[in-house]
Amino acid sequence: MKGRWLSIGLYSALALTLLAPMVVAALWSLVDPKGGWFAPDIVPRAISLHHWQAIGLDRSLLNSIGLSVVISLAVTALSGLLALPTAYALAKIPFRAKRAIEMFILAPLIVPGLIVGIGIGYLFFRVGLAYSVPGVILAQTIGTLPFMIRILSATLEAIPADLIFAARSLGATPFKVGLHIVAPLAWPGFIAGGMLTFVSSFEEFEKTFIVGAPQVETLTVKLWAVLGGKVMIFPNAAVVTFIVLVPTVLIFFLAERAMRNDGALAAGMGKL
Amino acid sequence: MTITRTTLWLLLLPGVGYLVVFFGLPLVLALLTSLGMGTIGTNEGFTLRHYADLFSDSVYRDGIRYSVYISVAPTLASLAVALPLAVVLQATFPGKKLFLTLYKVPLVVPGIVAAFIVMILFDRGGEMSRILKPVGLSLPKLVRDEWSLGVIIALAWKSIPFMTLIIGGALASIPADLAAAARSLGANRQVVFWQIELPMALPGITAAVLLVFVGSTGAFAVPSLLGPIYPKPLSVWMYEAAYQQNDWGLATAMGIVMSAIACAVLLIYYRLTHGLNRAIGGETR
Repeated sequence: MKGRWLSIGLYSALALTLLAPMVVAALWSLVDPKGGWFAPDIVPRAISLHHWQAIGLDRSLLNSIGLSVVISLAVTALSGLLALPTAYALAKIPFRAKRAIEMFILAPLIVPGLIVGIGIGYLFFRVGLAYSVPGVILAQTIGTLPFMIRILSATLEAIPADLIFAARSLGATPFKVGLHIVAPLAWPGFIAGGMLTFVSSFEEFEKTFIVGAPQVETLTVKLWAVLGGKVMIFPNAAVVTFIVLVPTVLIFFLAERAMRNDGALAAGMGKL
Repeated sequence: MTITRTTLWLLLLPGVGYLVVFFGLPLVLALLTSLGMGTIGTNEGFTLRHYADLFSDSVYRDGIRYSVYISVAPTLASLAVALPLAVVLQATFPGKKLFLTLYKVPLVVPGIVAAFIVMILFDRGGEMSRILKPVGLSLPKLVRDEWSLGVIIALAWKSIPFMTLIIGGALASIPADLAAAARSLGANRQVVFWQIELPMALPGITAAVLLVFVGSTGAFAVPSLLGPIYPKPLSVWMYEAAYQQNDWGLATAMGIVMSAIACAVLLIYYRLTHGLNRAIGGETR
Protein backbone atom coordinates (compact mmCIF):
# COMPACT_ATOMS: atom_id res chain seq x y z
CA MET A 1 0.00 0.00 0.00
CA LYS A 2 1.22 3.45 -0.90
CA GLY A 3 2.69 5.44 1.94
CA ARG A 4 2.77 2.57 4.41
CA TRP A 5 6.27 3.39 5.65
CA LEU A 6 5.39 7.05 5.93
CA SER A 7 2.39 6.10 8.01
CA ILE A 8 4.49 3.87 10.27
CA GLY A 9 7.09 6.59 10.71
CA LEU A 10 4.58 9.32 11.51
CA TYR A 11 2.59 7.23 13.96
CA SER A 12 5.79 6.10 15.74
CA ALA A 13 6.83 9.72 16.12
CA LEU A 14 3.39 10.49 17.51
CA ALA A 15 3.60 7.58 19.95
CA LEU A 16 6.98 8.80 21.21
CA THR A 17 6.18 12.48 21.54
CA LEU A 18 2.55 12.34 22.62
CA LEU A 19 1.52 8.91 23.88
CA ALA A 20 4.67 8.04 25.84
CA PRO A 21 4.65 11.27 27.90
CA MET A 22 0.97 10.68 28.68
CA VAL A 23 1.70 7.13 29.83
CA VAL A 24 4.42 8.39 32.18
CA ALA A 25 2.04 11.07 33.51
CA ALA A 26 -0.64 8.40 33.98
CA LEU A 27 1.82 6.24 35.94
CA TRP A 28 2.61 9.20 38.19
CA SER A 29 -1.08 9.66 38.91
CA LEU A 30 -1.32 5.97 39.87
CA VAL A 31 1.69 5.80 42.20
CA ASP A 32 0.84 4.06 45.44
CA PRO A 33 1.81 6.46 48.23
CA LYS A 34 3.10 3.58 50.38
CA GLY A 35 5.55 2.31 47.73
CA GLY A 36 6.43 5.65 46.14
CA TRP A 37 8.29 5.90 42.87
CA PHE A 38 12.00 6.51 43.10
CA ALA A 39 14.93 6.21 40.69
CA PRO A 40 16.07 3.82 39.30
CA ASP A 41 12.63 2.16 39.05
CA ILE A 42 11.24 2.54 35.53
CA VAL A 43 7.70 1.81 36.70
CA PRO A 44 6.27 2.39 40.18
CA ARG A 45 6.62 -0.49 42.70
CA ALA A 46 2.93 -0.51 43.44
CA ILE A 47 -0.04 1.02 41.74
CA SER A 48 -3.22 2.30 43.33
CA LEU A 49 -6.08 4.66 42.70
CA HIS A 50 -5.27 6.49 45.94
CA HIS A 51 -4.60 9.88 44.32
CA TRP A 52 -7.69 9.64 42.14
CA GLN A 53 -9.91 8.73 45.07
CA ALA A 54 -8.45 11.66 46.99
CA ILE A 55 -10.04 14.09 44.50
CA GLY A 56 -13.41 13.55 46.12
CA LEU A 57 -12.00 14.56 49.51
CA ASP A 58 -10.12 17.61 48.26
CA ARG A 59 -12.52 20.51 48.60
CA SER A 60 -10.20 23.03 46.97
CA LEU A 61 -9.70 20.78 43.92
CA LEU A 62 -13.45 20.23 43.54
CA ASN A 63 -13.92 24.00 43.79
CA SER A 64 -11.31 24.53 41.08
CA ILE A 65 -13.07 22.07 38.77
CA GLY A 66 -16.42 23.80 39.27
CA LEU A 67 -14.89 27.24 38.91
CA SER A 68 -13.07 26.32 35.68
CA VAL A 69 -16.26 24.93 34.13
CA VAL A 70 -18.38 27.94 35.16
CA ILE A 71 -15.77 30.46 33.94
CA SER A 72 -15.32 28.65 30.61
CA LEU A 73 -19.09 28.46 30.02
CA ALA A 74 -19.47 32.17 30.81
CA VAL A 75 -16.54 33.09 28.55
CA THR A 76 -18.03 31.01 25.73
CA ALA A 77 -21.47 32.60 26.07
CA LEU A 78 -20.04 36.12 26.32
CA SER A 79 -17.70 35.60 23.36
CA GLY A 80 -20.51 34.16 21.23
CA LEU A 81 -22.92 37.00 22.00
CA LEU A 82 -20.34 39.71 21.34
CA ALA A 83 -18.87 38.00 18.28
CA LEU A 84 -22.03 37.18 16.30
CA PRO A 85 -23.11 40.66 15.14
CA THR A 86 -19.53 41.74 14.49
CA ALA A 87 -18.73 38.55 12.57
CA TYR A 88 -21.87 39.01 10.49
CA ALA A 89 -20.88 42.58 9.59
CA LEU A 90 -17.35 41.49 8.66
CA ALA A 91 -18.55 38.55 6.59
CA LYS A 92 -21.51 39.99 4.74
CA ILE A 93 -21.25 43.78 4.54
CA PRO A 94 -18.63 45.45 2.36
CA PHE A 95 -17.21 48.63 3.90
CA ARG A 96 -14.04 50.62 3.61
CA ALA A 97 -12.33 50.25 7.00
CA LYS A 98 -12.82 46.44 7.01
CA ARG A 99 -9.13 45.54 6.66
CA ALA A 100 -8.13 47.87 9.51
CA ILE A 101 -10.85 46.49 11.77
CA GLU A 102 -9.84 42.91 10.99
CA MET A 103 -6.25 43.74 11.89
CA PHE A 104 -7.34 45.33 15.17
CA ILE A 105 -9.45 42.30 16.04
CA LEU A 106 -6.47 39.99 15.51
CA ALA A 107 -4.11 42.12 17.60
CA PRO A 108 -4.96 40.43 20.94
CA LEU A 109 -3.86 37.11 19.42
CA ILE A 110 -0.49 38.59 18.50
CA VAL A 111 0.31 40.53 21.67
CA PRO A 112 1.58 38.05 24.30
CA GLY A 113 -1.05 37.02 26.86
CA LEU A 114 1.04 38.17 29.79
CA ILE A 115 1.32 41.72 28.44
CA VAL A 116 -2.43 41.84 27.81
CA GLY A 117 -2.75 40.46 31.33
CA ILE A 118 -0.56 43.16 32.91
CA GLY A 119 -2.49 45.88 31.06
CA ILE A 120 -5.88 44.57 32.10
CA GLY A 121 -4.57 43.58 35.54
CA TYR A 122 -3.50 47.16 36.12
CA LEU A 123 -6.88 48.50 35.04
CA PHE A 124 -8.79 45.97 37.15
CA PHE A 125 -6.51 46.66 40.10
CA ARG A 126 -7.63 50.28 39.95
CA VAL A 127 -11.33 49.66 39.43
CA GLY A 128 -11.64 46.81 41.93
CA LEU A 129 -12.14 43.91 39.51
CA ALA A 130 -8.82 42.26 40.38
CA TYR A 131 -8.99 38.85 42.10
CA SER A 132 -12.65 38.42 41.10
CA VAL A 133 -14.42 35.84 38.94
CA PRO A 134 -16.06 38.50 36.71
CA GLY A 135 -12.61 40.03 36.22
CA VAL A 136 -11.20 36.67 35.08
CA ILE A 137 -14.15 36.14 32.69
CA LEU A 138 -13.67 39.59 31.16
CA ALA A 139 -9.89 39.08 30.86
CA GLN A 140 -10.17 35.65 29.21
CA THR A 141 -12.74 36.99 26.74
CA ILE A 142 -10.08 39.37 25.34
CA GLY A 143 -8.23 36.30 24.09
CA THR A 144 -11.20 34.22 22.93
CA LEU A 145 -13.24 36.95 21.23
CA PRO A 146 -10.89 37.49 18.26
CA PHE A 147 -10.83 33.74 17.74
CA MET A 148 -14.64 33.49 17.86
CA ILE A 149 -15.14 36.45 15.48
CA ARG A 150 -12.67 34.88 13.07
CA ILE A 151 -14.33 31.46 13.07
CA LEU A 152 -17.89 32.83 12.88
CA SER A 153 -17.11 35.25 10.06
CA ALA A 154 -15.25 32.52 8.11
CA THR A 155 -18.36 30.32 8.50
CA LEU A 156 -20.78 33.07 7.48
CA GLU A 157 -18.57 34.06 4.55
CA ALA A 158 -18.83 30.53 3.19
CA ILE A 159 -22.61 30.81 2.83
CA PRO A 160 -23.27 31.87 -0.79
CA ALA A 161 -24.96 35.27 -1.00
CA ASP A 162 -26.98 33.98 -4.00
CA LEU A 163 -28.82 31.61 -1.71
CA ILE A 164 -29.89 34.44 0.55
CA PHE A 165 -30.87 36.66 -2.40
CA ALA A 166 -32.83 33.84 -4.02
CA ALA A 167 -34.80 33.21 -0.83
CA ARG A 168 -35.44 36.92 -0.36
CA SER A 169 -36.62 37.36 -3.96
CA LEU A 170 -38.99 34.41 -3.50
CA GLY A 171 -40.57 36.28 -0.62
CA ALA A 172 -38.82 34.99 2.52
CA THR A 173 -38.52 37.51 5.33
CA PRO A 174 -35.04 38.21 6.77
CA PHE A 175 -36.09 36.22 9.83
CA LYS A 176 -37.06 33.19 7.72
CA VAL A 177 -33.81 33.45 5.78
CA GLY A 178 -31.94 33.44 9.07
CA LEU A 179 -33.87 30.47 10.42
CA HIS A 180 -34.08 28.25 7.33
CA ILE A 181 -30.92 29.10 5.40
CA VAL A 182 -28.24 30.79 7.46
CA ALA A 183 -28.71 28.84 10.70
CA PRO A 184 -28.63 25.30 9.21
CA LEU A 185 -25.59 26.13 7.07
CA ALA A 186 -23.71 27.96 9.82
CA TRP A 187 -24.30 25.81 12.87
CA PRO A 188 -21.31 23.45 12.44
CA GLY A 189 -19.02 26.48 12.45
CA PHE A 190 -20.85 27.96 15.43
CA ILE A 191 -20.60 24.72 17.41
CA ALA A 192 -16.91 24.39 16.54
CA GLY A 193 -16.27 28.01 17.48
CA GLY A 194 -18.07 27.56 20.78
CA MET A 195 -16.19 24.39 21.65
CA LEU A 196 -12.81 25.89 20.76
CA THR A 197 -13.61 28.95 22.84
CA PHE A 198 -14.53 26.73 25.77
CA VAL A 199 -11.26 24.81 25.37
CA SER A 200 -9.07 27.90 25.12
CA SER A 201 -10.71 29.36 28.20
CA PHE A 202 -10.40 26.07 30.09
CA GLU A 203 -6.66 25.84 29.43
CA GLU A 204 -5.91 29.58 29.76
CA PHE A 205 -3.33 30.39 32.41
CA GLU A 206 -1.52 33.69 32.07
CA LYS A 207 -4.37 36.22 32.06
CA THR A 208 -6.25 34.23 34.71
CA PHE A 209 -3.15 34.07 36.88
CA ILE A 210 -2.49 37.81 36.65
CA VAL A 211 -6.06 38.93 37.16
CA GLY A 212 -7.36 36.24 39.49
CA ALA A 213 -4.62 34.39 41.39
CA PRO A 214 -4.47 33.47 44.18
CA GLN A 215 -8.14 34.13 45.00
CA VAL A 216 -9.64 32.75 41.80
CA GLU A 217 -8.03 29.33 41.50
CA THR A 218 -8.95 27.70 38.18
CA LEU A 219 -7.47 24.30 37.34
CA THR A 220 -4.42 25.70 35.54
CA VAL A 221 -3.75 28.12 38.41
CA LYS A 222 -4.10 25.15 40.78
CA LEU A 223 -1.58 23.19 38.70
CA TRP A 224 0.79 26.14 38.90
CA ALA A 225 0.43 26.18 42.67
CA VAL A 226 1.14 22.43 42.88
CA LEU A 227 4.20 22.61 40.57
CA GLY A 228 5.66 25.96 41.58
CA GLY A 229 5.41 25.48 45.33
CA LYS A 230 8.16 24.54 47.73
CA VAL A 231 7.36 20.82 47.59
CA MET A 232 6.44 19.46 44.22
CA ILE A 233 3.95 16.66 44.50
CA PHE A 234 4.13 14.88 41.17
CA PRO A 235 1.18 12.48 41.71
CA ASN A 236 -1.14 15.41 42.56
CA ALA A 237 0.13 17.38 39.56
CA ALA A 238 -0.47 14.33 37.35
CA VAL A 239 -4.07 14.00 38.55
CA VAL A 240 -4.77 17.71 37.93
CA THR A 241 -3.09 17.40 34.51
CA PHE A 242 -5.55 14.71 33.48
CA ILE A 243 -8.53 16.62 34.89
CA VAL A 244 -7.51 19.52 32.62
CA LEU A 245 -6.46 17.47 29.60
CA VAL A 246 -9.19 14.86 29.22
CA PRO A 247 -12.14 17.25 28.69
CA THR A 248 -9.96 19.67 26.72
CA VAL A 249 -8.77 17.06 24.25
CA LEU A 250 -12.20 15.40 23.90
CA ILE A 251 -13.97 18.69 23.18
CA PHE A 252 -11.17 19.63 20.79
CA PHE A 253 -11.68 16.37 18.84
CA LEU A 254 -15.45 17.03 18.64
CA ALA A 255 -14.82 20.58 17.44
CA GLU A 256 -12.45 19.25 14.78
CA ARG A 257 -15.14 16.90 13.52
CA ALA A 258 -17.75 19.65 13.47
CA MET A 259 -15.46 21.95 11.58
CA ARG A 260 -14.63 19.47 8.79
CA ASN A 261 -11.70 21.49 7.46
CA ASP A 262 -8.63 23.21 8.80
CA GLY A 263 -9.38 26.48 7.08
CA ALA A 264 -11.39 28.04 9.84
CA LEU A 265 -9.08 26.66 12.53
CA ALA A 266 -5.99 28.11 10.84
CA ALA A 267 -7.90 31.34 10.27
CA GLY A 268 -9.06 31.44 13.87
CA MET A 269 -5.62 30.64 15.20
CA GLY A 270 -4.37 33.83 13.59
CA LYS A 271 -3.64 33.86 9.89
CA LEU A 272 -2.01 37.24 9.40
CA MET B 1 -29.84 44.77 0.58
CA THR B 2 -29.22 48.27 1.81
CA ILE B 3 -27.55 48.69 5.13
CA THR B 4 -27.11 52.07 6.69
CA ARG B 5 -23.88 53.18 8.30
CA THR B 6 -25.61 53.22 11.67
CA THR B 7 -26.65 49.58 11.35
CA LEU B 8 -23.12 48.65 10.31
CA TRP B 9 -21.55 50.35 13.32
CA LEU B 10 -24.18 48.88 15.64
CA LEU B 11 -23.27 45.43 14.33
CA LEU B 12 -19.54 46.06 14.75
CA LEU B 13 -19.92 47.65 18.17
CA PRO B 14 -20.16 44.60 20.49
CA GLY B 15 -17.00 42.87 19.26
CA VAL B 16 -14.89 45.88 18.35
CA GLY B 17 -16.10 47.97 21.29
CA TYR B 18 -15.25 45.22 23.76
CA LEU B 19 -11.71 44.98 22.42
CA VAL B 20 -11.28 48.75 22.45
CA VAL B 21 -12.29 48.93 26.13
CA PHE B 22 -10.57 45.82 27.47
CA PHE B 23 -7.60 45.50 25.12
CA GLY B 24 -6.85 48.87 23.52
CA LEU B 25 -7.51 51.01 26.58
CA PRO B 26 -5.37 48.94 29.00
CA LEU B 27 -2.47 49.02 26.53
CA VAL B 28 -2.72 52.80 26.22
CA LEU B 29 -2.96 53.10 30.02
CA ALA B 30 0.09 50.85 30.35
CA LEU B 31 2.04 53.03 27.92
CA LEU B 32 1.04 56.19 29.81
CA THR B 33 1.89 54.62 33.19
CA SER B 34 5.31 53.54 31.91
CA LEU B 35 5.92 57.19 30.96
CA GLY B 36 4.95 58.39 34.44
CA MET B 37 1.56 59.63 33.34
CA GLY B 38 -0.68 57.19 35.19
CA THR B 39 -4.13 58.52 34.44
CA ILE B 40 -5.63 56.70 37.39
CA GLY B 41 -3.91 57.27 40.71
CA THR B 42 -0.29 58.47 40.78
CA ASN B 43 0.71 61.04 38.22
CA GLU B 44 4.33 62.15 38.33
CA GLY B 45 4.41 63.92 34.97
CA PHE B 46 6.21 62.77 31.83
CA THR B 47 9.37 60.86 32.65
CA LEU B 48 11.60 58.24 31.06
CA ARG B 49 12.76 57.20 34.53
CA HIS B 50 11.16 53.73 34.37
CA TYR B 51 12.84 52.98 31.07
CA ALA B 52 16.15 54.30 32.42
CA ASP B 53 15.73 52.03 35.49
CA LEU B 54 15.03 49.12 33.19
CA PHE B 55 17.99 49.58 30.86
CA SER B 56 20.54 50.63 33.48
CA ASP B 57 20.06 47.49 35.56
CA SER B 58 22.16 44.59 34.25
CA VAL B 59 19.68 42.11 35.76
CA TYR B 60 16.95 43.42 33.48
CA ARG B 61 19.28 43.69 30.49
CA ASP B 62 20.11 40.02 30.94
CA GLY B 63 16.38 39.44 31.21
CA ILE B 64 15.76 41.07 27.83
CA ARG B 65 18.54 39.02 26.25
CA TYR B 66 17.18 35.84 27.81
CA SER B 67 13.61 36.62 26.66
CA VAL B 68 14.86 36.99 23.10
CA TYR B 69 16.82 33.73 23.41
CA ILE B 70 13.84 31.70 24.61
CA SER B 71 11.77 33.13 21.75
CA VAL B 72 14.27 32.55 18.95
CA ALA B 73 15.48 29.08 19.95
CA PRO B 74 12.04 27.38 20.23
CA THR B 75 10.92 29.07 17.01
CA LEU B 76 13.91 27.69 15.10
CA ALA B 77 13.52 24.28 16.72
CA SER B 78 9.86 24.02 15.81
CA LEU B 79 10.50 25.29 12.28
CA ALA B 80 13.08 22.53 11.83
CA VAL B 81 10.37 19.95 12.61
CA ALA B 82 7.26 21.69 11.25
CA LEU B 83 8.54 22.46 7.75
CA PRO B 84 9.49 18.85 6.85
CA LEU B 85 6.36 17.60 8.63
CA ALA B 86 4.11 19.95 6.65
CA VAL B 87 5.77 18.78 3.41
CA VAL B 88 5.39 15.10 4.30
CA LEU B 89 1.73 15.60 5.28
CA GLN B 90 0.89 16.71 1.72
CA ALA B 91 1.33 13.05 0.66
CA THR B 92 -1.39 10.46 1.14
CA PHE B 93 -0.81 7.62 3.58
CA PRO B 94 -3.02 5.16 5.44
CA GLY B 95 -4.52 6.68 8.58
CA LYS B 96 -3.90 10.25 7.40
CA LYS B 97 -7.24 11.59 8.62
CA LEU B 98 -6.69 10.31 12.17
CA PHE B 99 -3.11 11.56 12.19
CA LEU B 100 -4.22 15.04 11.14
CA THR B 101 -6.44 15.17 14.22
CA LEU B 102 -4.05 13.60 16.72
CA TYR B 103 -0.94 15.63 15.91
CA LYS B 104 -2.81 18.82 16.82
CA VAL B 105 -3.29 17.83 20.47
CA PRO B 106 -0.41 20.03 21.79
CA LEU B 107 -2.36 23.05 20.46
CA VAL B 108 -4.74 22.76 23.39
CA VAL B 109 -2.27 21.55 26.02
CA PRO B 110 -1.57 24.34 28.54
CA GLY B 111 2.06 25.44 28.84
CA ILE B 112 2.15 24.33 32.47
CA VAL B 113 1.20 20.80 31.47
CA ALA B 114 3.95 20.81 28.83
CA ALA B 115 6.37 21.96 31.54
CA PHE B 116 5.19 19.19 33.87
CA ILE B 117 5.71 16.59 31.13
CA VAL B 118 9.25 17.84 30.51
CA MET B 119 9.92 17.60 34.27
CA ILE B 120 8.79 13.99 34.63
CA LEU B 121 10.61 12.92 31.46
CA PHE B 122 13.85 14.89 31.39
CA ASP B 123 14.62 16.12 34.89
CA ARG B 124 17.47 14.45 36.76
CA GLY B 125 16.12 11.10 37.86
CA GLY B 126 13.26 11.51 35.38
CA GLU B 127 11.88 8.70 33.26
CA MET B 128 14.34 9.15 30.36
CA SER B 129 17.42 8.95 32.55
CA ARG B 130 15.97 5.87 34.30
CA ILE B 131 15.43 4.16 30.95
CA LEU B 132 18.85 5.16 29.60
CA LYS B 133 20.85 4.27 32.72
CA PRO B 134 20.83 0.45 32.27
CA VAL B 135 22.21 0.92 28.73
CA GLY B 136 24.99 3.08 30.13
CA LEU B 137 23.79 6.38 28.69
CA SER B 138 23.04 9.54 30.58
CA LEU B 139 21.23 12.74 29.71
CA PRO B 140 22.72 16.20 30.01
CA LYS B 141 21.02 18.52 32.50
CA LEU B 142 17.78 19.57 30.82
CA VAL B 143 15.73 21.20 33.55
CA ARG B 144 16.88 24.48 35.11
CA ASP B 145 19.99 24.14 32.93
CA GLU B 146 22.28 26.86 31.64
CA TRP B 147 21.03 26.60 28.04
CA SER B 148 17.34 26.29 28.98
CA LEU B 149 17.00 23.18 26.83
CA GLY B 150 13.96 22.08 28.82
CA VAL B 151 12.25 25.42 28.16
CA ILE B 152 13.06 25.11 24.46
CA ILE B 153 11.74 21.53 24.31
CA ALA B 154 8.46 22.46 26.03
CA LEU B 155 7.83 25.61 23.97
CA ALA B 156 8.79 23.95 20.67
CA TRP B 157 6.62 20.89 21.42
CA LYS B 158 3.66 23.21 21.90
CA SER B 159 4.29 25.24 18.73
CA ILE B 160 5.06 22.45 16.24
CA PRO B 161 1.41 21.60 15.39
CA PHE B 162 0.49 25.27 15.06
CA MET B 163 3.39 25.91 12.68
CA THR B 164 2.69 22.72 10.72
CA LEU B 165 -0.96 23.70 10.38
CA ILE B 166 -0.17 27.12 8.91
CA ILE B 167 2.72 25.98 6.68
CA GLY B 168 0.66 22.99 5.53
CA GLY B 169 -2.18 25.32 4.60
CA ALA B 170 0.22 27.48 2.59
CA LEU B 171 1.68 24.43 0.80
CA ALA B 172 -1.76 22.96 0.07
CA SER B 173 -2.92 26.18 -1.57
CA ILE B 174 -0.17 25.99 -4.24
CA PRO B 175 -1.81 24.74 -7.48
CA ALA B 176 -0.68 21.19 -8.26
CA ASP B 177 -0.41 22.11 -11.95
CA LEU B 178 2.59 24.27 -11.16
CA ALA B 179 4.65 21.39 -9.81
CA ALA B 180 3.44 19.14 -12.64
CA ALA B 181 4.43 21.75 -15.24
CA ALA B 182 7.88 22.16 -13.70
CA ARG B 183 8.37 18.39 -13.58
CA SER B 184 7.36 18.03 -17.22
CA LEU B 185 9.91 20.72 -18.10
CA GLY B 186 12.61 18.58 -16.52
CA ALA B 187 12.87 19.88 -12.94
CA ASN B 188 13.44 17.17 -10.36
CA ARG B 189 11.51 17.01 -7.10
CA GLN B 190 14.13 18.94 -5.18
CA VAL B 191 14.21 21.77 -7.68
CA VAL B 192 10.42 21.92 -7.57
CA PHE B 193 10.50 22.16 -3.78
CA TRP B 194 13.27 24.73 -3.43
CA GLN B 195 12.37 26.91 -6.39
CA ILE B 196 8.60 26.70 -6.56
CA GLU B 197 6.93 25.34 -3.46
CA LEU B 198 9.12 26.93 -0.79
CA PRO B 199 9.05 30.46 -2.24
CA MET B 200 5.29 30.22 -2.77
CA ALA B 201 4.74 29.01 0.79
CA LEU B 202 6.96 31.75 2.21
CA PRO B 203 4.16 34.08 3.33
CA GLY B 204 2.64 31.22 5.32
CA ILE B 205 6.01 30.28 6.78
CA THR B 206 6.62 33.91 7.70
CA ALA B 207 3.29 34.15 9.45
CA ALA B 208 3.90 30.91 11.36
CA VAL B 209 7.42 31.93 12.45
CA LEU B 210 6.20 35.35 13.56
CA LEU B 211 3.31 34.06 15.59
CA VAL B 212 5.39 31.42 17.33
CA PHE B 213 8.15 33.93 18.07
CA VAL B 214 5.75 36.46 19.53
CA GLY B 215 3.91 33.76 21.45
CA SER B 216 7.15 32.69 23.12
CA THR B 217 8.27 36.27 23.89
CA GLY B 218 5.81 36.58 26.73
CA ALA B 219 6.10 32.97 27.91
CA PHE B 220 5.83 32.95 31.66
CA ALA B 221 4.86 29.58 33.13
CA VAL B 222 7.30 27.43 31.16
CA PRO B 223 10.49 29.43 31.83
CA SER B 224 9.48 29.92 35.47
CA LEU B 225 9.14 26.18 35.99
CA LEU B 226 11.91 24.87 33.73
CA GLY B 227 14.33 27.77 33.28
CA PRO B 228 17.52 28.44 35.24
CA ILE B 229 17.47 30.46 38.47
CA TYR B 230 19.33 33.20 36.59
CA PRO B 231 18.77 34.83 34.13
CA LYS B 232 15.00 35.13 34.34
CA PRO B 233 12.96 36.30 31.35
CA LEU B 234 11.54 39.82 31.32
CA SER B 235 8.02 38.37 31.68
CA VAL B 236 8.90 36.98 35.13
CA TRP B 237 10.54 40.26 36.22
CA MET B 238 7.47 42.09 34.97
CA TYR B 239 5.18 39.98 37.12
CA GLU B 240 7.41 40.47 40.16
CA ALA B 241 7.65 44.22 39.63
CA ALA B 242 3.88 44.53 39.39
CA TYR B 243 2.66 42.17 42.06
CA GLN B 244 5.52 41.85 44.53
CA GLN B 245 7.08 45.33 44.44
CA ASN B 246 3.88 47.08 43.34
CA ASP B 247 6.02 49.11 40.93
CA TRP B 248 3.60 49.47 38.03
CA GLY B 249 5.73 52.07 36.28
CA LEU B 250 8.58 49.58 35.92
CA ALA B 251 6.25 46.66 35.14
CA THR B 252 4.42 48.51 32.37
CA ALA B 253 7.75 49.74 30.95
CA MET B 254 8.83 46.09 30.72
CA GLY B 255 5.56 45.19 28.99
CA ILE B 256 6.03 47.97 26.47
CA VAL B 257 9.65 46.89 25.82
CA MET B 258 8.49 43.31 25.19
CA SER B 259 5.75 44.50 22.84
CA ALA B 260 8.32 46.69 21.08
CA ILE B 261 10.66 43.71 20.62
CA ALA B 262 7.77 41.70 19.16
CA CYS B 263 6.83 44.56 16.81
CA ALA B 264 10.45 45.13 15.76
CA VAL B 265 10.91 41.47 14.89
CA LEU B 266 7.65 41.58 12.99
CA LEU B 267 8.91 44.53 10.92
CA ILE B 268 12.39 43.13 10.31
CA TYR B 269 11.00 39.78 9.27
CA TYR B 270 8.49 41.40 6.92
CA ARG B 271 11.23 43.43 5.29
CA LEU B 272 13.48 40.41 4.97
CA THR B 273 10.90 38.18 3.36
CA HIS B 274 9.71 41.04 1.21
CA GLY B 275 13.26 41.50 -0.06
CA LEU B 276 13.59 37.76 -0.49
CA ASN B 277 10.40 37.61 -2.52
CA ARG B 278 11.65 40.38 -4.73
CA ALA B 279 15.02 38.64 -5.19
CA ILE B 280 13.30 35.42 -6.21
CA GLY B 281 10.93 37.34 -8.46
CA GLY B 282 13.87 39.08 -10.12
CA GLU B 283 15.65 35.79 -10.68
CA THR B 284 12.76 34.24 -12.54
CA ARG B 285 12.10 37.25 -14.70
